[in-house]
Amino acid sequence: MHPDEAGQAIDTILSSHSREREHLIPILQDIQERMSYLSPKALRMVADHLDLSENDVYGVATFYSQFRYHPPGRHRIKVCQGTACHVRGGGLVLDAIVRKIGISPGQTSADGGFSLERVACFGSCALPPVMVVDDKVYGRMSARKAEKLLEDLE
Amino acid sequence: MAEIHLTIDGRTVTVKAGATVLHAARQAGIPIPTICDHKDLNPYGACRMCIVEIEGVRGFPTSCTTPAAEGMQVRTRSPELETLRRRTLELMFSGHPNTCLVCPHREACESMRPMATKAGRTTRCGFCSNREECDLRNMALQAGGRDLNLPTLYAAHNLERDDPFMDRDYNLCILCARCWRICEKIHGKPAISIINRGRQARVGTAFHKSHVHSGCTFCGSCIDICPTGTLTDRFARWHGKADTRADSACILCPEGCSLTAHVKGGQLVATAMTAFEPDSSLCALGRFGYAQIVNAPTRLLRPTIRDNGESFSVDWDSALDAAAAGLSKHESALGILVSAAASREDRHLYHLLAQELGAKFAAIPATPAGTKPLLPKWVTGPKKSRSSALILSGDFLEDKHLAGLDFLLVIDGLPSPAQERADVLLPAALLSEAEGTFRTASGQIKDLARSSRAPGMARPEWEILWDLGQKLGLKSMAFDSLDHITAAVGEDPAPQAFADAPRHDVRTLPAFYRGHRTADLVPALEAFGLSATPRPLKQDVSIEGFQLLETRELAPNMHLLRIKAPQVAAHAKPGQFVILMAKETSERTPYTLADWDAEAGSITLILEEVGRSSRELALLKAGEVLAHVSGPLGKPFPVAKKGTVVLGGGCYGIGAILPLARALRQAGNHVLSVIEASSAYLLFWEEELRAVSDEVRVATKDGSRGAYGGVQEVFQQIVDQQPVDIFIAVGCTFMMRMVAELTKPWNVPTFVALNPIMVDGTGMCGACRVSIHGETKFACIDGPFFDAHGVDWDELACRKSAYAREEVEALPQAVDLSALMFPGAARPRCGCGR
Ligand code: SF4
Ligand code: SF4
Ligand code: SF4
Ligand code: FES
Repeated sequence: MHPDEAGQAIDTILSSHSREREHLIPILQDIQERMSYLSPKALRMVADHLDLSENDVYGVATFYSQFRYHPPGRHRIKVCQGTACHVRGGGLVLDAIVRKIGISPGQTSADGGFSLERVACFGSCALPPVMVVDDKVYGRMSARKAEKLLEDLE
Repeated sequence: MAEIHLTIDGRTVTVKAGATVLHAARQAGIPIPTICDHKDLNPYGACRMCIVEIEGVRGFPTSCTTPAAEGMQVRTRSPELETLRRRTLELMFSGHPNTCLVCPHREACESMRPMATKAGRTTRCGFCSNREECDLRNMALQAGGRDLNLPTLYAAHNLERDDPFMDRDYNLCILCARCWRICEKIHGKPAISIINRGRQARVGTAFHKSHVHSGCTFCGSCIDICPTGTLTDRFARWHGKADTRADSACILCPEGCSLTAHVKGGQLVATAMTAFEPDSSLCALGRFGYAQIVNAPTRLLRPTIRDNGESFSVDWDSALDAAAAGLSKHESALGILVSAAASREDRHLYHLLAQELGAKFAAIPATPAGTKPLLPKWVTGPKKSRSSALILSGDFLEDKHLAGLDFLLVIDGLPSPAQERADVLLPAALLSEAEGTFRTASGQIKDLARSSRAPGMARPEWEILWDLGQKLGLKSMAFDSLDHITAAVGEDPAPQAFADAPRHDVRTLPAFYRGHRTADLVPALEAFGLSATPRPLKQDVSIEGFQLLETRELAPNMHLLRIKAPQVAAHAKPGQFVILMAKETSERTPYTLADWDAEAGSITLILEEVGRSSRELALLKAGEVLAHVSGPLGKPFPVAKKGTVVLGGGCYGIGAILPLARALRQAGNHVLSVIEASSAYLLFWEEELRAVSDEVRVATKDGSRGAYGGVQEVFQQIVDQQPVDIFIAVGCTFMMRMVAELTKPWNVPTFVALNPIMVDGTGMCGACRVSIHGETKFACIDGPFFDAHGVDWDELACRKSAYAREEVEALPQAVDLSALMFPGAARPRCGCGR
């Protein structure tokens, strides 16, 4: 989206909410839904709208794991870190992916190819450890299999 | 207002309605421990140290947030409360460096090292600038330090040292939220907030922006209210706790904000807000710049006169005579230029002097960034209309205005081009060094306190002028006290305020002080767009030199450097050291060789960041070039077959004993290597040592791994089990001394590698003199290894601390502008290497 367009889209969202602090979370949710992430500019506009400090807005947003601060990559990778996956090596799978694409959870690779998220549970606890790529579920993963999967995606 | 009666620990207490239980207890003199509570902040209830029992109330409410109520029965002390408070402390310390609290050698260590070490990362109280005034530490010690169950988790947050004026190490943060609460109270919209959640929660800015871009005005209140060593004033940090505080006012701009001077041993170390209130706020220059200006290394120290083109220092009397003679001779053509950043008394005397001598007079106002003060025509106009003799109290004129003067008297505390042309130069006391009064833009008159000592022979200007008046025989300038002068000032006009107050906007900070660029005196101001005098670019990076092949932070604060130095690698022997210089301008500092590879032509060193030189080295990036590496220096260790050899290494010494272990084992000895660190996460090279030793044992000061204690505890264990033929210890002076004292009664030869201050490393300068069995030796050529039982340890400690103050003053205060502009890109390395 062009920056001007993005600004307008955010303005539209803001104007549909009055300026009380309680609206902070719904505003952030609306923006993320429309723009798919919260940019520094978006947070600044929200802070101005509600007359808050940008730092406080960021503080509130980062308290909730639902918000993202980078545009998602072409491939969205989510790795489950729930109990079932954790005990079966979900952490190793995540580590392997971090090493492979060189970004931490919550980030998007520089070329925009991948974004990585850590997720609490997908409800596929029978297949641990689980990862999801672009809404397709992959069960019984291992570090090796995850690496292979990423290579195939590239 | 209504009153409330309640009972605390059996005593009846009467308080005003609205008071909290904590207030009530304090009022009655009943102590309740608190951390997050602060008298100038609203109750918050985060730390839970202040819990009490209240009859009829379930659980343990926090007294700081509970309003006192009529008839309340409160208990502040009970076995349950004590246990809970202990648990709270333990929890708070589980993510906070705590080894010094549980270390078995704490008392001895602190008596031998009274000042905290100026480390990069604070991994223990001994490395913490907050140690002398830390409530948290006191509480833990009172709770019996060593009996606490304190696990260690090191968060490994990046050090934040790229912003002007403040060093932040969030590895010490206990999330009491005092900082952002005070920031919000003072500025409305805080420049910091608590970000992230759960284990990742920390204090920070939106998107981890620099404070320069987060809305921070650099008022410093977060630093002053933080109970831990997390937030620190970079300049004041290592000077230690102030012994004197004096309320005064800032005269750097017309606002004239009130401030409190923090003085230690006569030296101004900081100026801070007088209260944690919005209208007591200070600007970045008032909070952080004051002390740097007063402590400028370029301060003028001695009265100087010029005769026949040559200048020389003289005593005050001769200098004043010369000044008076010059003034009498050029009375008719005299002009006096002073700065408005001066006390009313100083200005009044200058004004009187001008009246008496019929001279022209102008006071140059302070101006915000981006503006230049207007100078009067009689100094800048056509030559004919100019004054041909001047008194300058500051640096206002360019060379072209100064050329061809018949007489020039400069009275100032800081150097300027005018000084080169001055016939008489008188050194003046500045800011906190002189008493007086100041009128602010709002018309208020504030007292200026004299709280610190002027350097060298510098004197307050009013004293200088008073004496000068006497020399000139001016009756109107004969006062009998400063108060008299103050009384004579009368109704002076209030100065004109800046359009925007600097304390609300860092872009409007005063650009000049007495005509000197503030950014020259306080280099970090460049981050706010204030410019310093352009200097010719010095080419610091020489292409010829010693390339850094690899650099890594092995453990927090411990850096491994692999450097290309084929000459050194080819001739190195175990026990030898090198002297390094990161840049041409660096100090020369010795480091023991931890390893080398003659074939690859590289040497490996382990260094701990504890001051300027090691910091310069630690911040170098792979591929960069060191200005100098000289070595191998010192006598190699006499490696021979002796039987069982026990090596002890602590901190950088862990690296230093590796080549010794290897060589001693190759020579047929049975080698036991013992390494110590404060805590398990600070250990390194255990595997490397295992490969070259018969056995490796570990000790940690918090008992988190191996033996509880230091190498000395393990040495004791070893002698209890087997005979030992030699002990060798390499580490800090404290550790080596403890080892020496331990092994002396055993009569086992013990060697230590002494590390006094060295300069040339070739036995010429004598800086590294040590006494061994009463004989003077040079550590650089006779050492570094000496008989531990012959070392005069007190003398060594004394020599090592000889430059303590200079070492603190040498720490850099400038900011790296490119690091501020491109955060992340210029950051050397993140985390602690793990
Ligand atoms: S803040 Fe510093 S002095 Fe206080 S407990 Fe922590 S490390 Fe020790
Ligand atoms: S220095 Fe002042 S403005 Fe900046 S973060 Fe601290 S309290 Fe806030
Ligand atoms: S930085 Fe200091 S004041 Fe702020 S939360 Fe941490 S410990 Fe408390
Ligand atoms: S002082 Fe009451 S909860 Fe911290």
